Amino acid sequence: MHNILNTIALMLEGTETTLQIFFITLVLSIPIGMLVSLARLSRLKPVSWFMELYIWIMRGTPLMLQLLFVYFALPMAGIKLSDITAALLAFTLNYAAYFAEIFRAGIQSINRGQYEAAKTLGMSYTQTMRRIILPQVIRRVLPPISNETINLVKDTSLIYILAMNDLLRVARTIVQREFDMTPFVVAAVFYLAMTFVLTWIFKRLEAHYGKYEV
Amino acid sequence: MENSTIMIQMSDIYKSFNNIPVLKGISLEVKKSEVLAVIGPSGSGKSTLLRCLNTLETIDGGSIKIKGEYLAKNSDGKAEYADKKTQKHILGQMCMVFQQFNLFPHMTVLENLLEAPLHVKNMKKNEILPVAEELLRKTGLFDKRDAYPSRLSGGQQQRVAIARALCMSPDIMLFDEPTSALDPELTVGVLNTMRQLAEEQMTMIVVTHEMGFARDAASNVIFMADGNIIEKAKPHDFFSNPQEERTKSFLKNMLK
Ligand SMILES: Nc1ncnc2c1ncn2[C@@H]1O[C@H](COP(=O)(O)OP(=O)(O)O)[C@@H](O)[C@H]1O
Ligand SMILES: [Mg+2]
Repeated sequence: MHNILNTIALMLEGTETTLQIFFITLVLSIPIGMLVSLARLSRLKPVSWFMELYIWIMRGTPLMLQLLFVYFALPMAGIKLSDITAALLAFTLNYAAYFAEIFRAGIQSINRGQYEAAKTLGMSYTQTMRRIILPQVIRRVLPPISNETINLVKDTSLIYILAMNDLLRVARTIVQREFDMTPFVVAAVFYLAMTFVLTWIFKRLEAHYGKYEV
Repeated sequence: MENSTIMIQMSDIYKSFNNIPVLKGISLEVKKSEVLAVIGPSGSGKSTLLRCLNTLETIDGGSIKIKGEYLAKNSDGKAEYADKKTQKHILGQMCMVFQQFNLFPHMTVLENLLEAPLHVKNMKKNEILPVAEELLRKTGLFDKRDAYPSRLSGGQQQRVAIARALCMSPDIMLFDEPTSALDPELTVGVLNTMRQLAEEQMTMIVVTHEMGFARDAASNVIFMADGNIIEKAKPHDFFSNPQEERTKSFLKNMLK
């Protein structure tokens, strides 16, 4: 009994690192993704092309590779980042690209008539986006955003390859030391708890933003 | 303002989409309090004509004057638009009602009405709220003010769209087939709202397939085909004694 409490205490510390990566990545990559999607839809071709290239690279290569690149290649080029900053940089760049594509699809799904109605009422582009388009986009992108967010919880375990003590790495360390599989089970329960809470939050958000739908 | 004031003057308007001409030298005038009905087969350029008036499309050639002010001026055969500020001023006097209503689905009926007065005209809520509520009463939608558009019938949604436009107190209202997306039994309420508006001396251009409305609510009727105005007349003359062959055959099809 003492042993399992000890294990759980250690794993809670690992969970802290996991949650830290998770929250900071989420808080940064959603607004960046939103801006990237607007730039991707820009009429300025070079801007749009650059964003397309960025999105292609981020979605077209493994997140693991991107992590290793930031972690090992940047220091060789003289850019020194702390472990956590390196991990956050890779995660944010990667997730912003995915979120950007979700937002782009959401923005493009809004009927042209909404822009036209706003324009004939005298609204500016910024007003139209902020007050008319984006609130509707949020409703439509919540389900795919919810998916990506749950993926992110699980993807945080990739920092296991860097020397950071996240939930999964702590679990493995204990398993190897004590030849006991319990920590893996505990880790699974922790991940399930986190995704359960997220699923619940997104359900509430969907109900809130969807109240105008029949 | 006198009743003879010219509210809209379009001269020799040309508009092409991908080099296919859609408006081929359209000229028309609308006086204050006039209700101009525009009819014609689908694809003849009726919507484009309205959309050019409020800059949802830009014209290639010709000029547009609203209440004496140039929105676009003819310069060497090309249309030259007024600066942004003038455009904004001119466009603020016109509102449009669309075939597909285009209400903001995430806002209640009342919020739809208040949105532009509050955020475009920067009016105070206590100034505009009585206006909005009065408009909702007039259109019979007061008890729906807190409902979302998705809860309303098509006819009610279109009346909200009209009220939303009127809430900006425009001098000119443009209607693009306001009843074409509605079930026949729902058109009556919308047409009545428009008739009432005509009686209140609103200046209106109405693209419509409702011959009854054109006959008894319009001051003038224009028949368009292939990007040209084929015939313009008073409703009585237009329906009882059309001059052009194309008008005759169109009316024969419509009224049969
Ligand atoms: N944005 C557009 N791009 C290309 N062609 C268009 C566009 N809008 C309208 N058209 C074409 O212009 C013609 C006139 O269309 P429209 O003004 O909508 O006619 P109506 O309202 O009389 O049915 C049609 O042939 C239509 O296909
Ligand atoms: Mg049309």
